[in-house]
Amino acid sequence: MISPVKIWRNQKRIRQLLGLKGKIVSFTKIFVPPAGFEAQAPYIVALVKLANGQNFTAQLVDWEDKHLQIGQKVKTVLRKTRDPGEEGIIPYGVKFRRI
Amino acid sequence: MKVNIAGAATTKFGELWRRSPRDLIKEAASNALEQAKIKPSRVEAVFVGNMLSSALGNQDHLGAFFAEELGMPVAAMKIEGACASGGLAIHAGVMAIQSGLYETVLVLGVEKMTDHSPEEVAQMLMGAGTDAEREAGATFPGLYAIMARCHMQKYGTTEEEMAQVAVKNHYHASLNSHAQFVFPVTLEKVMKSPKVADPLKLLDCSPITDGAAAVILTKIKNNEVNIIASAVATDTLGLSEREDLTGLKAVRVASQKAYQMAGISPKEIDVAEVHDCFTIAEIMAMEDLGFFEKGKAARAITSGKTKLGGSGPIINTSGGLKACGHPVGATGVKQIVEIYNQLKGIAGRKQVEGAKIGLTHNVGGSGATAVVHILKKG
Repeated sequence: MISPVKIWRNQKRIRQLLGLKGKIVSFTKIFVPPAGFEAQAPYIVALVKLANGQNFTAQLVDWEDKHLQIGQKVKTVLRKTRDPGEEGIIPYGVKFRRI
Repeated sequence: MKVNIAGAATTKFGELWRRSPRDLIKEAASNALEQAKIKPSRVEAVFVGNMLSSALGNQDHLGAFFAEELGMPVAAMKIEGACASGGLAIHAGVMAIQSGLYETVLVLGVEKMTDHSPEEVAQMLMGAGTDAEREAGATFPGLYAIMARCHMQKYGTTEEEMAQVAVKNHYHASLNSHAQFVFPVTLEKVMKSPKVADPLKLLDCSPITDGAAAVILTKIKNNEVNIIASAVATDTLGLSEREDLTGLKAVRVASQKAYQMAGISPKEIDVAEVHDCFTIAEIMAMEDLGFFEKGKAARAITSGKTKLGGSGPIINTSGGLKACGHPVGATGVKQIVEIYNQLKGIAGRKQVEGAKIGLTHNVGGSGATAVVHILKKG
């Protein structure tokens, strides 16, 4: 369950994860989404090796099929992640955008 | 170590809309008790493997819930480890016997999933993942697809080779009246099935299933089938924190522990039930369990080595998660039931002739929990 308190607590971590560059290690195109993501499907979930050596898993935005390559360079950006649901607070989080 | 299996049974797996979790458990437990010729009053503890009763059924407190249904007012508790809940419940049962605290225990596994939409079930199953994976809208097919792409990249594994796992397991399920999908599928049908999480297609994925399984473990010697190793290993919850995405480290660690405990090598396994939640998962399992060299399992499966009649080890005679079905909390217990039947020689048309040693491999989440059991004919 999403609670406004959880969103508030978790969003404090997001700032440290923005503007980081990395390369796609692997990815998938999700055709059957979980609840809350129906409007976005199909979408890309990528596992990226960031320049700091850490891996991170998030959606890729603004993509075309030709960008879906292992090794594609990306950076982290702030985006709305899913439908807000009954709580009405829009959850924001980290996604990747190609560079 | 040696823990005897006195009885083991599963319900039919499938979309069982007319049946409740209570019904399913009652049937599985009654059949296991009857087979064991043990009075219910001999059962001293009940362990229930289940993942989603709270999220999907609004029912917690499953130990008491099923103890009441079975008329067993004894120590009773739920064990949870995502899709490895059943395997962990067996591990808990083994620990209970080995500790000397109990002589006879009942291990149950149950899941009721088909009352809900696929999107709801996919969301609840992601409870086994990380915050970041949930925020990304990842699904379990998606996480295994990410591993599949790494395996394809590194070892040249193809989508056709993954599809061969589904073809084999559907063939086995066609011989198993308790399976969800009692029919074979062709390679073409798997390849043309709609994509779920590219490169995985619908027929690369295990289904959403209702079902239950029950196993009676006891210290009393019966010379039938014994559990001779029970090992668990744990890795990071999410994929991002793993060193390698072409296999599951927890499986390598748990299986090494289990082989050591049993004093055997992977070559001695005649028959195994492995956690093929997705076709790529069976390929990785064959490598992580030491049945085939890294990068060579896909070709071995395609050549028919692991199919009934092959050179062995014969894998997933029940049809596996793929075709027998995957009621998540029941799966790890069902695997024990299938190997018990194989070693007892009562597996019917899917019997592996002369099977003496069997293995079960149950995985939670994207590989954070791995449970390996080795069973031997008495």
